[in-house]
Amino acid sequence: MPTSGAREVAITGLGAVTALGPDVRTLAAGLIEGRCAIGPLTLFSHAGRCRIAAEVPEAIAMPLATIAPATARRLSRADRFAVAASAEACRDAGLDEALRRGAALAVGATTGGMRETEEAYRRRRAGEDRRFRLGRMLGTALSTSAAAVSQALGIFGPRATFSTACSSSALAIAAAVETIRAGRTPLALAVGTDQLCRLTYAGFDALQALDPEPCRPFDGRRRGLSLGEGAAALVLEDAAHARARGARVHALVLGHGTATDAHHPTAPHPAGAGAVAALRAALADAGVSPERIDYVNAHGSGTPQNDAVEVAVLRTVLGRRLPWVPVSSTKSQLGHTLGAAGAIEAVVTVRALADGIVPPTVNLRAPDPAWADLDLATTPGRRAALEVAVTSSYGFGGHNVTLVLARAGVR
Amino acid sequence: MPAVAITGLGVLSALGHGVEAFWANLLEGRRNADGAVPPFERRAFARSPFGRRIDRTSLLALAACRLALADAGLAPEAASGDRAGLCLGTALGNLGETAGFLDRLFARGTANPLVFPNLVLNAPLAYATIELGITGPTAMVTEQEASGEAAIAHGVDLVAAERAAVCLAGGADELDRTLAAVLAEGRLLTRTVPRPLDPAADGPALGEGAAVAVLEPLAAARARGARVYACVRAHPGFAVPAPVHGWAGDARPVAVGLRPLLREVDVVFAGASGSPPRDALEADALALALEGRPALVTAVRGATGDFGAAGALDVAAAALAVASGVVPPTLGTGPRPRAGLAVVREAPRRTAVRCAVVPGLARGGACRPLVIEAAA
Repeated sequence: MPTSGAREVAITGLGAVTALGPDVRTLAAGLIEGRCAIGPLTLFSHAGRCRIAAEVPEAIAMPLATIAPATARRLSRADRFAVAASAEACRDAGLDEALRRGAALAVGATTGGMRETEEAYRRRRAGEDRRFRLGRMLGTALSTSAAAVSQALGIFGPRATFSTACSSSALAIAAAVETIRAGRTPLALAVGTDQLCRLTYAGFDALQALDPEPCRPFDGRRRGLSLGEGAAALVLEDAAHARARGARVHALVLGHGTATDAHHPTAPHPAGAGAVAALRAALADAGVSPERIDYVNAHGSGTPQNDAVEVAVLRTVLGRRLPWVPVSSTKSQLGHTLGAAGAIEAVVTVRALADGIVPPTVNLRAPDPAWADLDLATTPGRRAALEVAVTSSYGFGGHNVTLVLARAGVR
Repeated sequence: MPAVAITGLGVLSALGHGVEAFWANLLEGRRNADGAVPPFERRAFARSPFGRRIDRTSLLALAACRLALADAGLAPEAASGDRAGLCLGTALGNLGETAGFLDRLFARGTANPLVFPNLVLNAPLAYATIELGITGPTAMVTEQEASGEAAIAHGVDLVAAERAAVCLAGGADELDRTLAAVLAEGRLLTRTVPRPLDPAADGPALGEGAAVAVLEPLAAARARGARVYACVRAHPGFAVPAPVHGWAGDARPVAVGLRPLLREVDVVFAGASGSPPRDALEADALALALEGRPALVTAVRGATGDFGAAGALDVAAAALAVASGVVPPTLGTGPRPRAGLAVVREAPRRTAVRCAVVPGLARGGACRPLVIEAAA
């Protein structure tokens, strides 16, 4: 731990809405089966090179009864994903109304309700609606998902929304950990949510960052990422508080690290300077050496540049340990869920630690020859005793966040 | 936890560029009717190879960062590297280029790859870290009307927890044509002038701008002989029952949360903008929380117009009031303010300000208050 006497942070609740299913159970089953949820894009038309995505089936993220119907109608899909995942996490942690009331809430997202806003904007331009729907304008702000979670579940502690592109919800988790460590509240809910929208889909396609086939992280023929959507939520809790109320501990957050490239608006630093610094800072914060890492849940977006930089980063920090550490990319199954990715991959990593099963990299046929020594975990359902794992998220604009997680009881 | 000092301020608003113009015009009761930041030379602030691509919101944030560093007497190198942090807030980000991007997408089915990187909400953070060489902990924060307060609170936490030795923190939002048109269609904007905290107010006027504070541990600031405007304490914040998209109807939970912060307060820098539901909530909550304490209240949005990150300007004004012992007047407010609050009107008030509070209320029930107080 960073300083003696600091509070230990436990993860006592998990929730997820992903393209693999409406809850953590279906996500975990999909991971073990190695199912790829990337399929045809159906949510909107797109005229570019790529026509696939990892979509969440519309039926599985319906709003809770606790939201007034008039409000529920105005929630975006991203808001509803966030509420559904948060409700599951709170149930999983056994948080009653009184425990929820004082909990902190930290949300990460990148475009939130953009899909609904761009549709309202399109209708206004096309003359289909005489006026822009004001309710939609008010729902455009990214902090709306946090407001929806807070109001739906009665969470009235400190609240914040972070947006650092693809590391948004990893940063939200880090912030929630700090809130608990500082003793401000014993409970915090960290959430990541994002939905597919035309803006990001067309934008990434125009940057030629999308693979026309389901993404192939770490493959020698990888051509880019696949976009996805969804949400995940984690209940973080002062470990002493969790023990005192007899809560089940899924895993521990040992540390986090944040660092910035200050290099390029979209491209990572060529040597991964910020990513190396974030990983090292997270390990230092956790008080564990690189030799103790048993599993790496990579950012693994599948773009030629990201994966090359990421392997270089892992070589720099893990050194000779690297060939013995399974490395996998959840994005091969769920696509890149942007602001939700940090939280979804944290949930995946927690399940890996708790279940002792390495999440796979699917779609990986022939690894880049330069990485023949790496364990890229292509076999689904592989059992392994995992104690310490890291999960990294690298955002547009050079914003890097790494989390160090451990199996419950490990110290 | 070490005390955190504000040693520099950078402000751009309808009142001009730089903290001197902001403060002088605020005290003189000037208003710039169109709400826009006066034009400036891009090259004065954007110096990297990416400088020409920077969008307006990001440019406002970057300009405020550079002005704040100069105001703090810090060379950019002194606030760069891995011990330097940056926290920026924005409510809506780059609306102008987002609308243009969607216009082309809907008209021609094609996306502009050069504009797309500017549309992520953290574009201001990306550009400012590149321009300033900041590689430490950084965050883009968003919280509707309290986006500026939320970012400054996060920056204070980073410095207090010694995760950064110096941190720039503030916020920026731009005045966008589409937003202005939609709000006007919805009759949400004033048809005359904004009247913060006045029961006869008919809406806010839109504005834009950015404000950034240089945050350092007070001891470090003193050691380098820096001018200290004030110290700033971040409250962790809280939330209250409210409509997801609107303002809380019940002021009592807000008052309960604010009360402990207002026990010593001399001046409240209110977020009131002339928006009836917002001003009613804030005025009622302050009146309940002050419990008869004769604290002064002022609201800068009467002069600057309203925008998401305007709370960062409230923090700047509060720090300037603590440093100078002058409270700026609220423009547009009549003699009978809401809830009987002691609103400073018409002329600046000279008075010792030991403690100022920015309440940081936002739509959807979030509260991100900050306490700005004289350095011990």
